[in-house]
Amino acid sequence: MNSVRRARPWLGTLVDIRVDAMDEACAVRAIDAAFAEIATVHRLMSFHEAGSDLARLRHARTGECLRVNARTHEVLDWSLRIAQACDGAFDPCVATMQVALGVLPVPESSFVPDARASWRDIELLDGERVRLRRPLWIDLGGIAKGYAVDRAIEVLRAHGVAQACVNAGGDLRVCGPNPECADVRSADGVVFPAIELVDGALATSASSGAQHLYGRTREAVTAGITVSVAAPTCIVADALTKVVLAAGESVRTMLCVFDAYAWMHDSRHGWQSLRLAA
Amino acid sequence: MQVRWLLPAGIGATLVVQVAHAAQYMSVEQAQRAAFAQATQFAPVAVAIDAAAFGVQPGWKPLVWRALKDGETIGWFFEDAVIGKSELITYALALDAAGKVTSVEILDYRESHGGEVRLAAWRNQFKDKTPADAVALDRDIRNISGATLSCRHLTQGVHRLLQLYAHVLAAKP
Repeated sequence: MNSVRRARPWLGTLVDIRVDAMDEACAVRAIDAAFAEIATVHRLMSFHEAGSDLARLRHARTGECLRVNARTHEVLDWSLRIAQACDGAFDPCVATMQVALGVLPVPESSFVPDARASWRDIELLDGERVRLRRPLWIDLGGIAKGYAVDRAIEVLRAHGVAQACVNAGGDLRVCGPNPECADVRSADGVVFPAIELVDGALATSASSGAQHLYGRTREAVTAGITVSVAAPTCIVADALTKVVLAAGESVRTMLCVFDAYAWMHDSRHGWQSLRLAA
Repeated sequence: MQVRWLLPAGIGATLVVQVAHAAQYMSVEQAQRAAFAQATQFAPVAVAIDAAAFGVQPGWKPLVWRALKDGETIGWFFEDAVIGKSELITYALALDAAGKVTSVEILDYRESHGGEVRLAAWRNQFKDKTPADAVALDRDIRNISGATLSCRHLTQGVHRLLQLYAHVLAAKP
């Protein structure tokens, strides 16, 4: 049985799903279901789309309890956990600043966000409810893509898939016993295998200008750095790339806490490991 | 999870992580069957395109099929290509009989210098887009400013095909 591979545009990139060693019709059904789940996550957590949970939160009154989808609640929960662990170096509330800098377009909102608001002003309540203590805008662009990849892997597994890879433009997760290799390439196009991964996730982010902001100060992180993070889940790998971009080597302890490994690259030092894999 | 870094530390000042390889996903026939399982025939449609009116280079020639079931049109199928950052992306678009997007599938992805390390991205989608949305093209493109180049160009490609449908195909008997 051959691999079945499909790619569709979602999450602002081309999402590639590959299923190995499965009857073709079953693999296609599993892949279709995984894409449907990715589409759901996309619609719920898009910064712009009018019907998304994030858009609804931009029309909530301060202090109002708003019910969101369980998936959005879960991603917000992870966002706050990671923001807390890195003391706000990662902050889903930098959207206000990114809009001001023109990185994100001005969204529709019934309030003007408070520039001092941070992740600490997001309160998660039982019953998938969210309360904002200050007027703020949330952008889950730094984490929801990884979550969508994780959800896709879960859907594939529920369809009986044993070996698969879901790759959303470089945020990827593999499941199954066989190792996957991520490559690096040189400027002249030579490809070297760089990371071998079994049953885990890998995410890569590169800093350029105002695309990534340091959560605590809202200043742009140093440009020209590429960070790759391996972690058991893609949501953690995705979010931690932003933490490492923002906070650099000071995140070693955090990597251990989340069972993650990180490699940082700049043109002066080449690749450096922040936590050595066994 | 097991993870192994294969490069020696400090190596590769010029190496960047490659996130996408060239890939072949589906043949045109596979994509047609996937989009219209009930179709009994795919009839090629010849279209005359005024390149200037569509804002494209002369020579733009997407392939168009009418999906038929027992002689009745149940939808439209397009094959076209866009350039990403440096790669050529061949893709298929399927519309139902009313011109609504039912699927976008990548058929083939060929790159000349490896993949793109993507920026924070979280944008556009294609489902339920109809030609009426085309007027919103500027807004859509602005809204996906964080999306990868290939994704943005693909969005533009889909918009072009929706225009082609609205102005040329929708009126065909």
